[in-house]
Amino acid sequence: MLQRRWTTVCLIAALVLAGVPAPAPAAPIAHREVLPNGIVLLVAERPGVPIVAVRAFMRAGAVFEPPDRAGLANLTGSLLTRGTAKHSGPEIDAAIEFVGGSLEAGAGRDGLTASLFVLKRDLGLGLDLLSEVVLSPTFPEAEVKRKVAQIQAAIKRSEEDPGTVAARALSRLVFGSHPYGTPVEGTIASVGTLTRDDVVAFYRGFVRPDTAVVAVVGDVTVDEARREVLARFGAWPRPAAPAPTGPTEPAAMPPRTEVIPKDLKQATIMLGRPAIRQVDPDYFPLAVASYVLGGGSASRLYARVRDEGGLAYAVYAYVSPGRYGASLVVSAQTRTGEVPKVIDIVRDELGRMAREPVSEDELRLARDYLTGSFPLRLDTTAKVADFIVAIEVQGLGLDYADRYRAAIARVTAADVQRVAGRFLGPDTFSRVVVSATK
Amino acid sequence: MRRGPIVLLLIAAVLATGGPAPAAEPARSAQAVVAATLDNGLRVLLLEDRRSPIVTVQMWYRVGSRNETRGATGIAHFLEHLMFRGTAKHGPGVFARTVERNGGQDNAFTSQDVTSYYVNLAADRLDLVLELEADRMHNLRLDPKIIASEREVVIEERRTRTEDDPGGALGEEVSATAFRAHPYGQPIIGWTVDLTRVTPEEIGAFYRTYYVPNNALLVAVGDFKADETLAMVKTAFGSIPRGATPPPVLAVEPPQNSERRVTVQRPAQLPIVYLGYPVPNQTSPDAAALEVLSVVLSGGRASRLYRDLVHERQLALEAGGDYSYFSLDPNLFWFWATPLPGQTAETLEKELLAHMERLKREPVSEVELTRAKNQVEASFVFQDDSIHRRAGLLARFELIGGYALKDSYLASIRAVTAADLQRVAGAYFQDEKKNVGILLPKP
Repeated sequence: MLQRRWTTVCLIAALVLAGVPAPAPAAPIAHREVLPNGIVLLVAERPGVPIVAVRAFMRAGAVFEPPDRAGLANLTGSLLTRGTAKHSGPEIDAAIEFVGGSLEAGAGRDGLTASLFVLKRDLGLGLDLLSEVVLSPTFPEAEVKRKVAQIQAAIKRSEEDPGTVAARALSRLVFGSHPYGTPVEGTIASVGTLTRDDVVAFYRGFVRPDTAVVAVVGDVTVDEARREVLARFGAWPRPAAPAPTGPTEPAAMPPRTEVIPKDLKQATIMLGRPAIRQVDPDYFPLAVASYVLGGGSASRLYARVRDEGGLAYAVYAYVSPGRYGASLVVSAQTRTGEVPKVIDIVRDELGRMAREPVSEDELRLARDYLTGSFPLRLDTTAKVADFIVAIEVQGLGLDYADRYRAAIARVTAADVQRVAGRFLGPDTFSRVVVSATK
Repeated sequence: MRRGPIVLLLIAAVLATGGPAPAAEPARSAQAVVAATLDNGLRVLLLEDRRSPIVTVQMWYRVGSRNETRGATGIAHFLEHLMFRGTAKHGPGVFARTVERNGGQDNAFTSQDVTSYYVNLAADRLDLVLELEADRMHNLRLDPKIIASEREVVIEERRTRTEDDPGGALGEEVSATAFRAHPYGQPIIGWTVDLTRVTPEEIGAFYRTYYVPNNALLVAVGDFKADETLAMVKTAFGSIPRGATPPPVLAVEPPQNSERRVTVQRPAQLPIVYLGYPVPNQTSPDAAALEVLSVVLSGGRASRLYRDLVHERQLALEAGGDYSYFSLDPNLFWFWATPLPGQTAETLEKELLAHMERLKREPVSEVELTRAKNQVEASFVFQDDSIHRRAGLLARFELIGGYALKDSYLASIRAVTAADLQRVAGAYFQDEKKNVGILLPKP
């Protein structure tokens, strides 16, 4: 059967950590050093399969856009591979694909990432191309126009997807005028106003070595990775001016409700509210709470909404922490007529989390899963690369895995109940329903 | 699939998600596999991979929508859901809780050809997974009350994937148009009327017919000793009796003699064009050429359809083509395109056809051919990074005739010439073999 291939939208850094776990080996997960121009170099040796993944992350995400330039980081990111001082976009595509590798670039909320995946024997070629797209993109006018049209079309098509429509609306309700309230890809109108000058200015302002993280993971040694990265990124000059800082945490927004009519068979329900980042000690009991509530197929919402009620195929809850803010989201899709019932169940289960302590069994299951699932979350080269970049970017430290595991293991039922009181009050959630109206 | 949003179709997805098939230095992959067939017919493939203290255990049943009859479509996938709802020994939710307690992940999918279940978890809990899988192969509890609630879940899944998804809705229509005799024309998730009607008795009969050890394949890859694991498999599954050989699928799709066309009007933001041409599966000498052809057409941004239709002429948001090498019966070679705003489905259909004519008229360049082969070869190595993908590929080759085919596959890809591509394009991409689906957004 057929699959439509979707253009990649990236969010890499934030996603890896969403709701996730930790722990692991006593040995540090990666080697870390700061190069003379400020680049943080991370290397994780993973011998055994002759492949290498490289990530170059710069603190140049959508949060740094001027408010009237929504979508600028995304446009800039998507243009990095579309032409450099030495090669046109099609030449870059042909060169990397000739060796079976891939080179992609794109921006998310917090940062802009260029990602390379190659066979070990092609690492030199891959790094040459990666450094070109990061250091000397030319943003050809024709490519800017082309990309603007593509992004606008992709936004238009995404209006077909009720999950995307609901998530966009919910971000706006939860984050208000904070940059997280604006879609990374912008709107059809905002993208239409972006120019090559905007892109060049954004690139010059935010793509710089002193906010960069380069992670090299795979069949490579630390010495080799340092040598190869220095050879290509060592002369990248650090600007005199200090790096821009990002936005502060979002201001609390009063909960609001929005209904978006769409001619569909099924309704999408999303509830959300501001939450906390991993640096807050309450993050760990909150992670446990959201897992008990809607984290897996043993969760309360899964049991009541899906297994008992037959009301939904998908129902879940998760914490989504970014560098500049966090949210807690509950989501479900159900037939149009059952929306009130599902909302009632979700509200009841939210309230119950604060009303009564979770059972010993539930607590143990959540702790065991969150601490024990770590090896599987780091079982491929790409997952390791994404993880080490994320913990660096979020300032969590290379021992975060171990600290996370220890902190989760200490969470008690009383902790869960206390944070539920702080974060799970049903009336503190904003709500979006995308649904047919009758 | 039971939970995450992606279901079913995966058999063809090897190519879709990052290039074709499997694995590495041939020496390492195939030779290290320990293969066995238990007395009850259960086929077992074990591969040691000691890089991380984890293991993947995958149960593949040789049953999918291909085995369904009219009036009872969707039953294979429905049963997949019910496999998570408990046995006499392990009640509802025990499977999921056991896996989660051990830090594991599990899920399943149903395709046209197979139903596949996997558990990935800490290697020292392998025995536990084997026990649970053996239990639900033989002792599934098909309680009418549970069936009733799961029926609603499956119908919700159908709403998500098909009824509210323009691409899903169109794909279903084109398949139904392309196959008249063969069950590949029936949706994997089933028609709603069938999902609403099918009885617990029918589901039970389906389970007893197809969930027998002699119709199953167990693949495990990870941090274990193969001989010890094989002993554990024998302990867990050995007492399950061999079943009757499930009935073969006899339907054969007759040759198509004229173009077929379906137009769907529904709420959507952009039109979509699908084209499907009947093609042989991997048993044909043309299969390797069709596989390479799909990479030449849509393997990355340097491929023909992206370069021309998306990049240079800016007619499409996306365009591609895909071949189902692993399909158990002859299936379709699909093409698709999504026109950019301002372009029509009609234009994109013509442009896709023009690409086929060009393939027939002139050989692809040496660079294009070599690039496609390099992409296939590299993807084999990339697959080895993940024990989950290694196991999946072993299974896919085993299901079409033997895991060792994995190695001859690469050799057959390397042997493909530009003349082969020209020849297969001429043989299969003919106007009278064309199935066209057009989605027109309803104003």
